[in-house]
Amino acid sequence: MKNSKVLLSIQNASYQYNDAEEGEYALRDVSFDFEKGKIYAIRGRSGSGKTTLLSLISGLERCTEGNIIFDGKNLKNINLDYYRSHDIGIVFQSYNLLPFMTASENIILSMDASGIKVADKKARALELMKSVGLKESYANRKVLRLSGGEQQRVAIARGLSYNPKMIVADEPTGNLDKQTEEEILEIFKDLAHKDGKCVIIVTHSANVCNQVDVVYDLKKVRK
Amino acid sequence: MFIFKNALISITRNKGRNILIGIIILVIACASTITLAINNTAGDLINSYQSAYDKELTISFNRKNMMKDFDFSNREKLEDMKGKFSDISSYTISDVEKFAESDYIEDYYYTYDVSLNGNNIEKAESEMANQNSNMPGFPDGGRGKDFGGSSYDFTLNGYSSLEAMSEFIEGTYEMVEIADDAWGKAFNGNYVLINEELASYNNLKLNDNIKLEDEDGNVYQFEILGIYKENESGASSPMGLFSNSANTIITNADALVAITDGGNVKGSVNPTFIIYNYGDKDKIQAEFYEKGLDENYTVETNEEVATAGLSSIKNVQSFATTFLIITLVIGGIVLFIINMINIRERKYEIGVLRTIGISKTKLTMQFVAELLMVGFVALMLGAGVGAIMSKDVSNSLLSSEISSSKASSEKVKGNFGGPGGFSSMGGEGGPMKDFAEKGRPKVEAYESIDAVVNINVLIELLGIGLALILISSLAAMISIQRFTPLTILKERS
Repeated sequence: MKNSKVLLSIQNASYQYNDAEEGEYALRDVSFDFEKGKIYAIRGRSGSGKTTLLSLISGLERCTEGNIIFDGKNLKNINLDYYRSHDIGIVFQSYNLLPFMTASENIILSMDASGIKVADKKARALELMKSVGLKESYANRKVLRLSGGEQQRVAIARGLSYNPKMIVADEPTGNLDKQTEEEILEIFKDLAHKDGKCVIIVTHSANVCNQVDVVYDLKKVRK
Repeated sequence: MFIFKNALISITRNKGRNILIGIIILVIACASTITLAINNTAGDLINSYQSAYDKELTISFNRKNMMKDFDFSNREKLEDMKGKFSDISSYTISDVEKFAESDYIEDYYYTYDVSLNGNNIEKAESEMANQNSNMPGFPDGGRGKDFGGSSYDFTLNGYSSLEAMSEFIEGTYEMVEIADDAWGKAFNGNYVLINEELASYNNLKLNDNIKLEDEDGNVYQFEILGIYKENESGASSPMGLFSNSANTIITNADALVAITDGGNVKGSVNPTFIIYNYGDKDKIQAEFYEKGLDENYTVETNEEVATAGLSSIKNVQSFATTFLIITLVIGGIVLFIINMINIRERKYEIGVLRTIGISKTKLTMQFVAELLMVGFVALMLGAGVGAIMSKDVSNSLLSSEISSSKASSEKVKGNFGGPGGFSSMGGEGGPMKDFAEKGRPKVEAYESIDAVVNINVLIELLGIGLALILISSLAAMISIQRFTPLTILKERS
């Protein structure tokens, strides 16, 4: 590894869908490094493979060529379920919370999935909610009764619940107003700069790009 | 553990769907409990009924086969027929012992019959009383060479063992008097049991000696060990004073073998083989033929006797089994479809759970656990309802089956012109009575099943329920394996 602070290294990663024609790539020959304590933005035009790259980083897919090295381990060789439930927190544009559960239940579910040992999971969930700017009283509300911004905060709290080293966010402020976008960005910046986490945001937003430490551009894949 | 917690949350949030699944499983469980209870109880009844009978196999002369080509109108051919009959080789005790050495045969016993005349006693004689002096072991059963036989005073039945004394076991004969240590002597020497009518006719008592002789005047002496009576109602004819067995003297087979070994007297052996399975009948017959049994003999089992009276209960059992299979197939299909719909509805949930790192295995376990929890409660409720209903349903089914059997039985009796009851298999009078009493067993048909839900039924129900739930969960298992979280979440977005 070139730099000891590098947490994630993408090395000549390419991705082809199963049904793709020969030479047709969703992502081609991408190489980026991501360090701890920094916030990154990945931007690119539609079709440039932003979401594909995010799904590779998140361990939702495996790259078809090249390697992704996380904390010295090649994602090709590790259990991706374990990786997703321990090493990274994923935040989606559409939050992807379970609507029939309360805010705290969504967070606790994530802790359960990781198997993290916490004496009082409910207390930990409340603490996390507080850290992302949510009132305690929201804990027992079904998430559908929360606003978009509040749901995104719950999603971030869920992503932090097992204390991952990296947070990956796909257009986290895409559905939110300007003020909420700023508040959410502040949370991400604090996670990187104060808590030493590596935060990667996939975005179209110029405002987000202006506030992050490093911006990577993805070029549209030529066929 | 969180799998079960999630499963519980999922059950409570989807009350409607889970209640529907529960009702379907409850109905299946209820129907299964009733049918399993009927099946098991009927099976127990059938087994206990059949276990009252040994599985017996006997050798019979196939008279029909012998007679089929014979022209009765042609008197000149009578001699041919006699010749044919005398050509048929009978079997001996050593043949029987050879036959019994078979993997299909568990045990055997036999009676050995000889006919002799009185020397110091007279036969109890009245009109046609000697009808019993028949021809044991037909065609040449010791009566003489001539077809048609000659008449002797007494028939001696020699039993090989206690098991062979079927008349006493079945209650046709009953001891009236018996000497001390009779059973110690009965199978070792020249000892006999005689009919009380013969005893009375000749003024005989216990421990008296009787003498019998063969055609050549050889005298054989026997000591009376016991006096028996016949419980069968009829004399040989309306004019007869004596019962059929009045001139039947009972002894042991060895005593008679000692007489026939001299060569002056012929005896006939009537074996009974205890077999393992009725289904082996044809194989046993083939084996007997291989071992030298004349092909004019066939083997017969007592299966009909052992299963008489069970037809209604067997019909109910068969109906119950068919009903169970149909219920399980239809119930299984419905559950499978509901599960498919359930999984499609919960695709998004599956995507989210997979995204946060819950493995396919754990997710599958959660879905199966949900179904198992609902299924278990429904199974227990269904078993309870089924237990309450099983007795009435089974007896109602049996009662309609009996009504239908009675109706057809009445039709048959109507055709033969004889009255009579279903349960006695023969009626209480009329020309068919004797036929029914002699030709068929006196058996009582079951008129109730009283199906009970016992631990066996519950275990079977649990097994069936689990299998059904797991099979219907296949939809969930397969779908979860096929779903990729990214695709699901993209579709949602």
